[in-house]
Amino acid sequence: MKTTGLAGFLKDAISAPGVSGYEEKVVAAVKEEMSGLYDEARTDALGNLIMLKRGIGRAPHPRIMLAAHIDEIGLMVTKIEDQGCLRVTQVGGIDKRILPGLEVIVYGKKELPGVVGAKPPHVQDPDEQKKAVKWEDLYVDIGLTGEEAQELVNIGDIITFAQSPIQLQGRFMAGKSMDNRTGVMVLFECLKFLRAMRHHADVYCVATVQEEVGLRGATTVTYGIVPDIGIAIDVGFGEQPSVPEHQGMSMDKGPGIAIGPVVHPKIFGRLKAIAKELEITVQTVPSPNPYGTDACSIQITRGGIPTALVSIPLRYMHTSVETVCLADIERAGRLLAEFIVRLDKKFVEELKCF
Amino acid sequence: MKDLLKKLAETFGPAGNEAQIRDVIREKVKGFVDEVETDAMGNLIAIRKGHGPRVMVAAHMDEIGVIVTHIDEKGFLRFSNIGGVSPFVLLGQKVIFANGTVGSCGMENLSEMKDLKLNKMFIDIGATDRDSASKKVSIGDIGGLYGEAHFIGDKVIAKSLDNRSGCAVLIKTLENLAERDIHNQIYAVFTVQEEVGLRGAKIAAYRVNPDIGFAVDVTRTGDTPESPAMAVKLGGGPTIKVKDSVVLTHPLVRQFMIDIAEKKDIPYQLEVLERGGTDTGPIHLTREGVPSGAISIPARYIHTPSEMADLNDIENAVKFLVAILESELGDRGTGYLTH
Repeated sequence: MKTTGLAGFLKDAISAPGVSGYEEKVVAAVKEEMSGLYDEARTDALGNLIMLKRGIGRAPHPRIMLAAHIDEIGLMVTKIEDQGCLRVTQVGGIDKRILPGLEVIVYGKKELPGVVGAKPPHVQDPDEQKKAVKWEDLYVDIGLTGEEAQELVNIGDIITFAQSPIQLQGRFMAGKSMDNRTGVMVLFECLKFLRAMRHHADVYCVATVQEEVGLRGATTVTYGIVPDIGIAIDVGFGEQPSVPEHQGMSMDKGPGIAIGPVVHPKIFGRLKAIAKELEITVQTVPSPNPYGTDACSIQITRGGIPTALVSIPLRYMHTSVETVCLADIERAGRLLAEFIVRLDKKFVEELKCF
Repeated sequence: MKDLLKKLAETFGPAGNEAQIRDVIREKVKGFVDEVETDAMGNLIAIRKGHGPRVMVAAHMDEIGVIVTHIDEKGFLRFSNIGGVSPFVLLGQKVIFANGTVGSCGMENLSEMKDLKLNKMFIDIGATDRDSASKKVSIGDIGGLYGEAHFIGDKVIAKSLDNRSGCAVLIKTLENLAERDIHNQIYAVFTVQEEVGLRGAKIAAYRVNPDIGFAVDVTRTGDTPESPAMAVKLGGGPTIKVKDSVVLTHPLVRQFMIDIAEKKDIPYQLEVLERGGTDTGPIHLTREGVPSGAISIPARYIHTPSEMADLNDIENAVKFLVAILESELGDRGTGYLTH
């Protein structure tokens, strides 16, 4: 393990590229940075990073999986136009209104800085000014002619936002891919807490791939691990102007503990009880919608897995300036560590009895 | 190839009703493989035994169609879609049912053409009342598009090139491999119900449990007037899929495919398909995950009775697939995949 600490690790993690399906670099960085905190690590056929910290005591050990997706949204080259501009499509759900004017990096034969072009307001029709730009009108300019671009860029090449980490005031930080490197940091914090604790459960900390394109990595990794409990760690909507109060979590008020059809009520109850006992600030997040996080695919793997969802409040989701509070990450890591040390055979058995 | 393609394209087989096309394909492949199996959904699995890695190659054999929902007192059939069927494409077309009954697709009187939806349309099978119609067609019967294949120079125009052209590639590949020793275990699966949600491939992949998977299907092109920006053209060679709605091809599988195409001097194109999915999706998410890729045949006017493809692309897809299946594949599919 390096000694960069949470803020430094988060900056490194959001700076590494990891668009869905192309997570290799960020996976390698995280595996390296977290070495020493786990007993063994491997990647599976889709590229999920599985870090196992073994429990102590007599077997069988309860198996808990913490899953935080490590992929990020991005763009992909669909066509290289004769004049050199790159036509693109989205990988994951991108709000195309935020793209014009953005700096990007094109991962061609080498890293190529680029910008997303936009039509000057002076030459726009009045009608155009009222509407968001269409995908077919968006393009990335890397400053090359068509012929030069053909040499360095290929169809299918990946593009990320170029945004550097921004240290805001207090313990707030902004940048690209906070969704969900923040969740990966919760794994980091949790394992750091566990270093000084005794736990019976085998802990599988998984950085899952391809969440943004349909929860794909969690589907296969859960099938392989077959945990007794699966907890997904992702980001949730933080309070901000324009997000209704009832849809947003408060920032710096602790992680959200989801309640809803995807969450096993006994795991929810245990997480809340531990938070209360140890005075860890948490928020309850109603999650009626059974789509959208790894928890949903974990829950329906094989014969069914008791599942929970912990979310970190985040502002400006799916933009290049996603904003989080580091204190919420630490609280989530501690809560999960305390949950893990209390895990025993009896609790795991009870999850199967309604 | 032309005769095979014509036979496959013209054979009836909408999703869930693949019996006729399955019988045609079974007859074609049984001499080229060690075993032919079917499973609970009707997938046809042709197996070449071996001792190496298990390779699954899927080509869906179902086609889009229509399903009868109501027969009115005058004998007109109301219907819904099986897979992606546009009312504008269907208008004025012929459909055929499994028993050979042919009908014409008409529409109600609409003030604006943009209001055309399937529920404003009906199928006319020439019946005069409900009783005579019911002798030929029942509620729940499924029909397919009806039409002959035509060859114009290097091009073929036919219904259901999606994905009978892929089936032709797979059959010809098995024929090519029949006389040769192969290390890999090959599971050539002609899948069902792809057009309604990639259903057949999902259970077939679970059964086969492959080390590596490939799909062979069609893809869109960007080479017609004012078409969306897409760097795939008819006659430019089969494509190596990078992305579609249901898969991001494993980067190492993609590179493995590119290396083979270049080594064998097979023309290829890289494909980023913005909308649409293939059997690669369910295959790669099977069990603990299967490194998977896809070869696509560029096709224009997909999901119409007049799909167009280039015979050179189809022939090159056969060469490409033969080269892939003959290559040395490592433990987990390819030696490249050293995760």
